[in-house]
Amino acid sequence: MSLGSAHRLAPEAAFLDPDLSADAATLERALDRLSTFSPGVAGETDANHPAIGRIELQLDGLERLWGPEPILVRRVVEALEPLLPGPPRAGIAGTRFAALIAAGDAAADAGAGAADAGAALRSVPPGTEAAFLAPFPAALLSGDSDVRARLARLGLRRIGQVAEIPRSALVARFGSEGALLHARARGEETDPFRPRRAPERLAFSLPIEPPVEDLEPLRFILHRLVGVLADQLAGRGMAAADAHLRLTLDPTFTRRAMVPGGPPIVEYRQRLPEPTAEGAAIERLLFARLERTPPSAPVDRMELELAGVVPAAGQQLSLFTPQAARTSRLGWQLARLALAFGDDRIRRMELVDPEASLPEARWRWVAVGVGDGVEPDRVVGDGTGLDR
Amino acid sequence: MTRLLREHPPIQVEFGPDGLPIAIRWDGRWERVEVCTRWRIDESWWRDPIARDYFKVVGSRWLALVYLDRVDGTWHLERLYD
Amino acid sequence: MFYNRPTMPAPSPDVTAALATLRDRWGAAAPRRFGTDAGGTESIGGTGSIGGTDAGGTVGALATVPLPDEPRPVPAADGSVVSTGFAALDAILVPGGVPRHVGLSLRGDHSSGKTTVALRLVAEAQAAGSIVAWLDLTRGLDPVEAVARGIRLEWLIVLTPASLDEGLAMAGSLLQGRTVDLLVADLAIERPAAGRPRSGGSTADRIHRLAALARRAGVLLVVLQPPGLPAGLTGALAESTGLHLDLARRSWIRLGRDVVGQRTEVAIARDRSGPPGRRTEVRILYAEGGEADRRLGDERLLGDERLLGDERLLGDERLRQGTPLTDRPSHHFGNSTHAPAPPPLAASPPPTRPVALYLVPERTAGPRRAAVDRGSRARREPGRTGARDPARDVARERPSARP
Repeated sequence: MSLGSAHRLAPEAAFLDPDLSADAATLERALDRLSTFSPGVAGETDANHPAIGRIELQLDGLERLWGPEPILVRRVVEALEPLLPGPPRAGIAGTRFAALIAAGDAAADAGAGAADAGAALRSVPPGTEAAFLAPFPAALLSGDSDVRARLARLGLRRIGQVAEIPRSALVARFGSEGALLHARARGEETDPFRPRRAPERLAFSLPIEPPVEDLEPLRFILHRLVGVLADQLAGRGMAAADAHLRLTLDPTFTRRAMVPGGPPIVEYRQRLPEPTAEGAAIERLLFARLERTPPSAPVDRMELELAGVVPAAGQQLSLFTPQAARTSRLGWQLARLALAFGDDRIRRMELVDPEASLPEARWRWVAVGVGDGVEPDRVVGDGTGLDR
Repeated sequence: MTRLLREHPPIQVEFGPDGLPIAIRWDGRWERVEVCTRWRIDESWWRDPIARDYFKVVGSRWLALVYLDRVDGTWHLERLYD
Repeated sequence: MFYNRPTMPAPSPDVTAALATLRDRWGAAAPRRFGTDAGGTESIGGTGSIGGTDAGGTVGALATVPLPDEPRPVPAADGSVVSTGFAALDAILVPGGVPRHVGLSLRGDHSSGKTTVALRLVAEAQAAGSIVAWLDLTRGLDPVEAVARGIRLEWLIVLTPASLDEGLAMAGSLLQGRTVDLLVADLAIERPAAGRPRSGGSTADRIHRLAALARRAGVLLVVLQPPGLPAGLTGALAESTGLHLDLARRSWIRLGRDVVGQRTEVAIARDRSGPPGRRTEVRILYAEGGEADRRLGDERLLGDERLLGDERLLGDERLRQGTPLTDRPSHHFGNSTHAPAPPPLAASPPPTRPVALYLVPERTAGPRRAAVDRGSRARREPGRTGARDPARDVARERPSARP
């Protein structure tokens, strides 16, 4: 709508120039705030992008932290309200498309859903995405105006009508776009979730109030962090090859001068024996590191990052050596032992040049542990130069 | 099988008139030995030279590989045949 | 995974029997043979192929080991008994080898041959599918010779603790994980640090616990006892292991002036499965590596030497006891020809990961997603995003090996 038309419709209105950078900054802050709830956050902050204002949150594994979905969404909305200019509308569904439609439809359910003051929530029960989408306009299935026009010409007004048409017929009419239309209408995921952070990183942190120093409560927190990230990995069909654990120490106990960099942080970097999304195995290995080198002061925040994320692959069993079937389990056990006793205590040997004149040149040690050292890799933020 | 000792313990050597080892003291005992074979290696002369005279020696109790480190003049036990 | 199946020549009866044993245990996962040219060896990732002919057409690191002339007692197909690798020694052990549950103690002086016997035992166990840990307190394990004896280094975990006590603790942790099948403890005499008493009662307790843990876990514990071990430890070992073998070298084997091997008498000092006192003799040839070892294949060049005081007898005197020297000429080094070839293990191809396809899982319950609309702007139509994650192919390198 042009400015002149708007002025004629509402002559008393005040029209402000858009502040695109402020809008972008607001959305960035909102995304940062959401990062405290889930490591899977995405959203468009480019004011020129048609999806500006849309924020996505991956919920896999979060119920153990924040409770059932309605409570979780209420907490999210409460966290966003101070940042956003208006009450947000929230939608929950099994696919990105259905969740977006649900969020847009949430205003109609204001007051009737579980969310309370100022926020509207539309939750689509699992497995009912197709039924939920059926009455909505078919034009919502695509952003391409030509596709929308052709859907209208074919008499396909509702998403439910599109879902009833055989996939082959849609492909014949629309090509590969037809397959997407069909899948989307039937409640199938067509757009993989792309988190805001670099896709190869997955991180999450939890405050610890009051700060704790004992290993058992730290393990409890670690268990929850690992569970969330592992579930999100598994949900995306991915596996992680590295784990980075960062403990923020309570500065009042460290007896070190506060420095501009912030409170001291102890970081453990652990290479995993193989890429995995198995939370229990990751937790055991990281806890072995904590046992070997426990923090020197109470911890008031724990952050876990799973890096080196790659598509998960099934374990390839060799058909020729029975030992190969136990490689994975052996690798994890040896990694834990190397952490407990030292990388130089448990190793393999490998021939280099069996005919070398010096015996020491004929072979070499091969590490079986995958840690980067027993000691924490870094202590930052305390100004004492303890980077190792 | 031999035991290739990764740390080469120092040994004491007694020589015959021909300059070859005839007795070796190791593990607290002297052992009369006979030289079976010998050879010399020279490695890395341009940086950290390794110069050793190896002797395979046999006694009544054991068969071993010893060497003279020609860089510092010390004798060492490298291998025990077992 | 795709691979080519080459044409397989007819295997010998012993190889067939050994492969059948492995198939009984491992089913489809059992090793199989690749084809090879007659008279040639093909080593796929193995390191023990030193050249020479191979009558059996076997492959891998064990291809250099000659096949036995005489039938030998075949250890139980269920893997409860491990062959020593020496036919004569297996013959005097009641179940035809070393039972897994009893624990084995090898005692002997320096150069008695106990380490060779332990290495051959490890090779046999690995050929049957075992993963082995070696507690190397003597710091004397030679991987070059271990490979020559038929050992696969990738299935050998080496523990190098700072002390016996630490080593026992490491071994205990390893056994609790139940991922190894055989543990060799190569003990050394500890020189007590200043002010610290020698290993005593607590170490003996640890040995007892380790042995008990091994029995419960079904792990074969093999202990190499050096001469001069403290009485407390020898007592603990005597109580913890059910089979004690005493090894004593009877003669050197010379090739001209050089000593290239030895004959060792092995006596059963204690055996829970049978009466003690049985004894036999095994022949051990040393592996130096390189072309010189080819000479060991010619029996005419080898002579036994018995040291009687200062008098030496050279020649091919036959032994008065033990297995007669009916060994076939060996073209390979490093093994007593009394040691029959362990079942040949078809070398595995390099373990690889398949090309990973990123498939978005389709679940009726679906991963839950939440969308939040800021609400202050007109709702935008969703744009189509066709993201696709890249596929990655990760291959793991095999250890380099001497061809």
